[in-house]
Amino acid sequence: MGKKKRGHPDVEELLERPWCYYCERDFEDLKLLISHQKAKHFKCDRCGKRLNTAGGLSVHMNQVHKESLTSVENALPNRQGLDIEIFGMEGVPEEIIQQHNQRIIQNFYTAQAERQAATGNPPRGNSSSQGPTKKIKIETPEELKKRLAEHRARLAAQKAAAANGTPLPVSAPIDGQSPSQGASPFPPPQPGFPYATTPVTAYPPAPQGYPVPAYPPGAPGPAFGNLPARPPGAPLIPSAPSALPQRPPYSYNGGAPPPGFPLGSGIPSTVDELVASAAAAGGRTPGGDDIDQLIRMAEAGIKPAKTAEDAPVEKKKKGMRMVYDDTEVSPEEKMAALARYRWVEETVV
Amino acid sequence: MAPATQFEASQPPNDAISSLVFSPSGSQPNRLLVSSWDKHVYLYEIIDGAEEARLINKYEHRAPVLDVCFGANSNEAFSAGLDQLVKRIDLTTGEHQTLSKHKDAVRCVVYSPQHSLLISASWDSTLHIHNLSSPSEVLTIPLPGKPHALSISPSKLVVAMTARLVHIHDLPTLLTSTSTQQIPQPWQTRESSLKFLTRAVACMPNDAGYATSSIEGRVAVEWFEDTPESQARKYAFKCHRQPAPEEEGGGDIVYPVNALAFHPVYGTFASGGGDGTVALWDAEAKRRMRQYQKFPESVAALEFSKDGKYLAIGVCPGFESGMDEQTYNAEGRSRVLIRELSETEAKGKGPK
Repeated sequence: MGKKKRGHPDVEELLERPWCYYCERDFEDLKLLISHQKAKHFKCDRCGKRLNTAGGLSVHMNQVHKESLTSVENALPNRQGLDIEIFGMEGVPEEIIQQHNQRIIQNFYTAQAERQAATGNPPRGNSSSQGPTKKIKIETPEELKKRLAEHRARLAAQKAAAANGTPLPVSAPIDGQSPSQGASPFPPPQPGFPYATTPVTAYPPAPQGYPVPAYPPGAPGPAFGNLPARPPGAPLIPSAPSALPQRPPYSYNGGAPPPGFPLGSGIPSTVDELVASAAAAGGRTPGGDDIDQLIRMAEAGIKPAKTAEDAPVEKKKKGMRMVYDDTEVSPEEKMAALARYRWVEETVV
Repeated sequence: MAPATQFEASQPPNDAISSLVFSPSGSQPNRLLVSSWDKHVYLYEIIDGAEEARLINKYEHRAPVLDVCFGANSNEAFSAGLDQLVKRIDLTTGEHQTLSKHKDAVRCVVYSPQHSLLISASWDSTLHIHNLSSPSEVLTIPLPGKPHALSISPSKLVVAMTARLVHIHDLPTLLTSTSTQQIPQPWQTRESSLKFLTRAVACMPNDAGYATSSIEGRVAVEWFEDTPESQARKYAFKCHRQPAPEEEGGGDIVYPVNALAFHPVYGTFASGGGDGTVALWDAEAKRRMRQYQKFPESVAALEFSKDGKYLAIGVCPGFESGMDEQTYNAEGRSRVLIRELSETEAKGKGPK
């Protein structure tokens, strides 16, 4: 990795960070993630031993303390299961990875939009004066010329990219108004995004008919320029727990986008509109994703409010109820005290 | 291979079942004694191949009977009950003979055919050791707590008491003590592996160890041998629990494990719980082999026949926390079920 960038990392960097299946926290590198998992999720609450996996902890509890482990500690309510063997990023189910990436992307764009709305700054990588939608846009002739120059430069770059042998998926005219969808391999969430797994977020309806990129779940975005295709998530290798899992090969070094990669051009206005319409339509706070909510509550130590859909997830946390709970007196003694069974010594025979 | 079948004994006890035992192998191995809170001991006989368990006789007592066991043969039985007496019953004639009297209700009674010793445990916190070859000799051993369960293996006696105390006595030592009248120290004193009140104890037929169960849906398996290796082998596991309905706030409902019984041939064991289920466990492989369909009431007692062919299950309402005179009623709700096991049904797969 290159030098850590100040300010706000871009979406690729965010997506690349290793993260914890159990609590959705992300980390600078895999070592940190693994030590987090050992300390937070795979630590024996009896003796403090840190195990490598939930399975390992379960065996340890069984053998050393004669108890059985039922759920993973400090995990999100729907991630407490012992049935999935997790080590670092290994073993995370594909749909959970997709769900996570989706959430990161969503958060990234909402955060970006919020920042822009707050600061009024144009987005990074776009030097045009096209600010947030709030601002009334008055273009001076100079600005128009500048924009034309930019547009030409962009076209040239795209041509160069095309000359490199990569077909250009963007055919729509780029004029700053109609957003070039798919400019990033991880476009902002769209209405009707075919996200087949757990319906975490219901996106509000689109303000108008956008060209919707129909990515099948699990498929990477369209390959772009020199950007290598991202493998669809960490490979599920059943390797020994001692070996560190391989990161997906990724040559992009976190610096400036490679040439021919028109990152973010035209997107911000779309996101602004999206967010604005989302806030208006759903009354939902930007970034108020269900998983986010869960994480925040978990961090605050609050159990999720009991709603119909949350209930099955929640019950694992609840305590038990013993049908007979007197630890001193046996049921037989209680029965023997009932009038109908009570023995009264008669005149001794 | 005979398929597994299940049938019910005719004329079951009228009230809650306290215990249930099979006769020793010999002339009549299919005899079954059931003691009940209705002040009777019932004798049933299973007719091989007929899927029938017929009531042969019943023996009236003065008070609810808490435990019963067979003696040296299928015609002799010993009973213990709330009337504080340990009695010998001649099953043919129905004659009663009082062997000893405790100062409180007698909870358990076990017989060791190898040493012809009869041991009774009472809530007066004593054991009575009767040497049946010289019936006059009764040795009283004080206990540090109220006994709740007794189990016997060919050479050991396990006594489970309140405050999670477990004493293990050596039977040959007890036998010599009856003649010398000296109170022997337990061979081993242990603390229960379970955190809650012990409910049942059962010894392994191979004399290697025993299993205990508690009111908190848990079973522990441990070994007699007092070496670190053997002690490292002991384990406990949760069972007889079920998730509570959502409207009651979720969580687990935890039932007491009322009964434990080892299979005399395969060394696997069965547990019966307040949830009305019976599960078969493979102690070696640490696996559950099967769980039978839920019975309408709590499982109070379990026993395998000495040849391992039948499993008798005593089903009656269990006494739960918060119950009283009005709410606890086991009358007419007790059943004695007999399951004829298929050949491999209770056979474990061995370790791994």
